[in-house]
Amino acid sequence: MSEEEAEKMLLDLKEKAELMVDLAYSSLIYNNKELAEEVYELEEHIDKLNDELQKLAIEDAKKGELNLNEALAIIKLATSTEMIADAARDIADVQLREIELHPILKESLLETDEIFLRVTISPNSILKNKKLGELHLASETGMWVIAIKRGDKWIYDPGKDVCLKENDVVFVKGNKEGKEHFLALAEGREKEL
Amino acid sequence: MKEMEKSPSRGKLPKWKEEELEEVEYEPRSIKDILIEMKNISELIVDLAYSSLLFDNKELAEEVKYLEARMDTLNYEIRLIAMMAARNKRDAERLTAILQIAEAAETISDAAGDIVDIISLKLDHPILPRLIRESDEAIKKLVVSDKSKACNKSIAELRVASETGVRIITIRRGKKWIYAPKKDEKLRAGDIVIGVGPKEGLDKFNAFLEGKTEGL
Repeated sequence: MSEEEAEKMLLDLKEKAELMVDLAYSSLIYNNKELAEEVYELEEHIDKLNDELQKLAIEDAKKGELNLNEALAIIKLATSTEMIADAARDIADVQLREIELHPILKESLLETDEIFLRVTISPNSILKNKKLGELHLASETGMWVIAIKRGDKWIYDPGKDVCLKENDVVFVKGNKEGKEHFLALAEGREKEL
Repeated sequence: MKEMEKSPSRGKLPKWKEEELEEVEYEPRSIKDILIEMKNISELIVDLAYSSLLFDNKELAEEVKYLEARMDTLNYEIRLIAMMAARNKRDAERLTAILQIAEAAETISDAAGDIVDIISLKLDHPILPRLIRESDEAIKKLVVSDKSKACNKSIAELRVASETGVRIITIRRGKKWIYAPKKDEKLRAGDIVIGVGPKEGLDKFNAFLEGKTEGL
């Protein structure tokens, strides 16, 4: 594994782990089973990814490209990321079980200033076919895109050049105040940024 | 660790170790408050753990260890309170969901603790030397000195972001954590601030917080 690959891998794991924790709590906050199922899917994906990563580390150690400690570091990192993913799944599991949620739960979870949204980009939305870089969503709405789900494909922490497309499922984070504006834009009700 | 030099009474143990050893006193807090803290910690700690690895930063790693120990205490407290709160089967059922979340939050913090342990593996070079070299962004733990002009001024008044480019992720004040602090939050002497931003900006901010400079 080259340094570059190792760097990409670590950033990728960080983003996915953070996203899972976000999604899991959000599934409870918004009482949303779909989100909870998303967490389950993502957890399986991370499991696979971690298996690959661990094999890669062992292979590279065998070839002498990584020393034992380096390979061990990568294996440990994969294991810990899997642990976080499993824990996120356990949180989402609460949403999927048919147990009535304790009112305290919702109250506690809602008491944060940062909110998390999952929106589908409507065909009428002015956000579609525009690059994130030209939209300036963070400054215009106070919300920023942390992930996009396009069909089966996930784009994590999308860069400035990523274009939003019709039917993209967008995961955004930001201030409470920006929520309505962003929703209206994505659903095509609001035509101006 | 600067904050320890200032308070010799705390002894030689790292802070997180102390938190771990401290006897849990039963102070009646609401389940809600504890759960909010656990959720906040579990979100913050993931970011901090990977960041400490990315930036090969031992101070951040120590912060993660501290949070991990804090989480243990909270998980114990919430179990205690939940058991006392259940009066019948319905209560108990609904409370299990809360405990499941608390348990998951603790698992997350344990995993984060394991991640920062990787730093102590004797690696010839940090896993990601490239990132550290090339990125001009860094993350740093800063301590507000009582000599600093920053004391009792809000983040907005100090214009931290515009003057230094530094974003304050969190403030630790004694045992309390303030996550994503608001603009009107005032800094106090002894606060531990975790900031992300350009290296130069962090140095400038640090000098100011240490009381070495009069303003930003």
